[in-house]
Amino acid sequence: MKRVIQFHKAFVPAAIGSVALIAFGLVGLATKGINLGVDFQAGINQAVQLAYPAADIAYSGAGAPVLSISDSTASVVFSGASVESRTASWNLRTVGTIADLAAAMKTEGIDVSIRDGAGLSADLLVPTFQGDYALGTDPVLVHRGAKSPAEAFGSIERVREAMQAVGTVSVQSVGDADSMQYLIRVRDDGTDKSFSEKVPSKITQALEGAFGADKVVAMRTDYVGARFSKDLADNSWKLTLFTTLAILAYATIRFKMQFGLGAVLAILHDGLMMIAFIVWTRMEFNTTSIAAILTILGYSINDTIVIFDRIREDRKLDPTAKLSGVLDRSISETLGRTIITTVTTMLAVLSLYIFTSGGIKDFALALLVGMVSGTYSTIFIASGFVYFWEKIQDKKAPKAASGQLATKAAR
Amino acid sequence: MNKTKRFIIVLAVLAVAFAFLLPSIKWYAMTPKEDQALALGSREQIREFAWRMARADLGEIEALASTPDPLPDRFGPVVKRAKAIYKEVGLKAPEAWNAKAYLAAFDNRSDALAELEDYHRTRVLALKKLHGSAVQLGLDLSGGMSVVIRADLEALETKLGKSLSPAERDDAVVRAVEVLNNRIDKFGLTEPVIRRQGEDRIYVEIPGAADPERINGIILGRGKLAFHIVDEAATATLTEYLDANPLAIDEKLNLADPTLIPAGTMVRKFYTKDKYGLDEWTGRYMVLAAEAGLDGNHIESATVSSDPVTGQPEVVFSLDKEGGELFYALTSANVDKTMAVVLDDRVRTGARISGPIQANVKITGFAADEANNLALILRSAALPVELIVETQQAIGASLGEDSILEGRNAVLIGLAAVFVFMLVYYKGAGVNAALAQVLNLFLMFSILSAFNLTLTLPSIAGFVLTIGMAVDANVIIFERIKEELREGKGRKASINAGFSKAFWAVMDSNITTILAALFLSQLGSGPIQGFAVSLAIGNMSSLFTSLFVSRLVFDFNTDVFKRQALSISWRVK
Repeated sequence: MKRVIQFHKAFVPAAIGSVALIAFGLVGLATKGINLGVDFQAGINQAVQLAYPAADIAYSGAGAPVLSISDSTASVVFSGASVESRTASWNLRTVGTIADLAAAMKTEGIDVSIRDGAGLSADLLVPTFQGDYALGTDPVLVHRGAKSPAEAFGSIERVREAMQAVGTVSVQSVGDADSMQYLIRVRDDGTDKSFSEKVPSKITQALEGAFGADKVVAMRTDYVGARFSKDLADNSWKLTLFTTLAILAYATIRFKMQFGLGAVLAILHDGLMMIAFIVWTRMEFNTTSIAAILTILGYSINDTIVIFDRIREDRKLDPTAKLSGVLDRSISETLGRTIITTVTTMLAVLSLYIFTSGGIKDFALALLVGMVSGTYSTIFIASGFVYFWEKIQDKKAPKAASGQLATKAAR
Repeated sequence: MNKTKRFIIVLAVLAVAFAFLLPSIKWYAMTPKEDQALALGSREQIREFAWRMARADLGEIEALASTPDPLPDRFGPVVKRAKAIYKEVGLKAPEAWNAKAYLAAFDNRSDALAELEDYHRTRVLALKKLHGSAVQLGLDLSGGMSVVIRADLEALETKLGKSLSPAERDDAVVRAVEVLNNRIDKFGLTEPVIRRQGEDRIYVEIPGAADPERINGIILGRGKLAFHIVDEAATATLTEYLDANPLAIDEKLNLADPTLIPAGTMVRKFYTKDKYGLDEWTGRYMVLAAEAGLDGNHIESATVSSDPVTGQPEVVFSLDKEGGELFYALTSANVDKTMAVVLDDRVRTGARISGPIQANVKITGFAADEANNLALILRSAALPVELIVETQQAIGASLGEDSILEGRNAVLIGLAAVFVFMLVYYKGAGVNAALAQVLNLFLMFSILSAFNLTLTLPSIAGFVLTIGMAVDANVIIFERIKEELREGKGRKASINAGFSKAFWAVMDSNITTILAALFLSQLGSGPIQGFAVSLAIGNMSSLFTSLFVSRLVFDFNTDVFKRQALSISWRVK
């Protein structure tokens, strides 16, 4: 038989600790506010990169080749009528300089006239963020990044200064300063119907005015209108509520009321913990964060149910045992499983955290925090609630044998 | 259930899953990039491609007609189709398939052109269909743009000075969708998805392209309708010339030799609707007077009715006063000529002018749905609907490629880490768990493929998370089996007791998670939906692999290989 750990003794300190942490989070929410993402705030998020114009690329043969440049490769897909279908691609890290790449493209019938940086490595070329280019007789312009920090001409202060012409704008730097990538956010107060059409070009114009023509590459534009963001916020609340109610109902049917309430309390605890984390780290709160929170609700409830299942079973085996003893025993028996499942899930999420970037990385981080909270709340909050609930019930009705409480729904 | 039956069920599930996955494998692993590029184009672009290829092929074959050598290998599939034609008309197949033998399969040149065009079109459309049944990549992975636009019905009500009935509101949104569909090939290199969403919203998704300024210009620009007189003699000459020299015209309708058509005229393509209600080029070019005879702004209303005598459907539209005078002058000067209705540079229909007409114009001579389409087009000019961008998201295609790579690495490394852990911790039984996870991943992708769901970055995250959580079911069961072993039970008894005692814990915990995932999937916006769906799918398939497949593997080892011991832990023997 496994050693039984006296978990029930930690219920009170755990409850106090949790309340303190959640209160700390709520204080943060009240004083600092939450960093709402574009999904919840009407406005435009525009990511731009400042770069040097590198080369004009044109094509005058038959068919319509399509050029795409990613971090590591440049490729041209030839398809369409009157041209032999083929794909030409070059590894930007091994092809050599921009001039070498131009020479290689030339053999495919593509004209590249270099404006600047012929002798620099081709992997400085800026990816085709706005979609692939259809090559034709009108040349398309590709850009290159700065070759060294000294060559980086943009700074967040200068971008902010340039943006003053556009209105109330917040500017963030994306990645390290040398990459000259910025996220510009303009709020939409809903007074101008053509906001989404005008603002992106205003941003580009203002930046070109400050840094020079052809030096601005738009990477990404997200726009969310006022009505949409309101709908999303409403929906999120409703769905979180319904999810919680559904879980409460299921747990009450399968177990007993106090178990359902304990489970719901535990998942609320996890949700609040994650919000506290998001508030204090100033992580952006967006639809992905909601997804993370809801996932943890699912994960935590999963964990909780496994322990409840064991409690029900152990009670059936020994209906006269004291509740505290049953809880300690059940939690101890399932502890191995709790730890292993947490470890395996964390391994998977950790690999997400390490190998992805941007929104998904934040998502993985929030999940890691949520999983720690979820595992903890399963043991100390959910079971603790059942413990206190039955203790109070016992005091109210001292005659009721505690052993009968959980046997009804057990199979 | 005995083992054989269970084994057959598992095999059947795997076979069905593989069948669902097959289109995805074919499309992503076996279709070259250039063929993918072709198939992703709009139907219009495919039609154009087939038109050009057919003429180029026929030119090549005709040039080879004097040699007795068989046709080059690349004509293989074309020859195969020609063989079928020979067989159908009862001709004896020739010994050598040279150009002459090929051409002999057709009565005339235009039959051969039609057959070649059909060949190229069928081939690309089959690829397009394949793409349709493969797992779709979300915009965050393929790159591209999605826009939700709203038809500004309030502005329309203000303009009309009355509130719109539900039917009128619906009609206004339908008109807006029609205008967008009309511009489908202007969006870029791939075919956009244009879909009505709710009462007054339209969802447009353009894979590949992510240039919001250009695309907003296309979406928000108004439809331009005009009437032009057709130059029939020039049209006939041009058609004949282009059949022989397809390269004389490019995709933007520029002629290599502008003197081919008379001065003051222009070339436009002639369209019909296909059975999906989408525009389809008929393969015909028309030469029109460059100057519009009448602008669509003059149209006041357009309806479909039927001729009281013949019962034929007819489109009736009325013009304002100035328009009526202009139209009268136009029609009196061009009796017996054809007048083309041109929307956004596309010829939508042609009607013969039988005599001078003033304010109320009646066009007859087509089927009921064609009449409805024409009336719709005319109304879109009479009552233009303003469109407002609600949300817009643009993600560069190259960012998408990098995301796929990142996601794939995360899935593979996460999976590997979980496997190593399970193998080290559970020894022999760990192999069983790993097998269950591989099957799980396979089933998840095939369900994704079967229901034509979209793979997004959040759904990849959902898969990674599911791998972690799906192991949980195995862990619960294995821990139970270990407890039974500690109590001194044998292999078979421990497995039986472990599975039956763990059953409800596994079910309860998974059902609650599926409940949460199902609610999540109702949250309207894309990323969460993708994540929730993959979480729910993963949970369901993990129930199957852990409770059914794992059990079967254990039982096989017990009964077939007569294993006595159970390798499941370092401490419990």
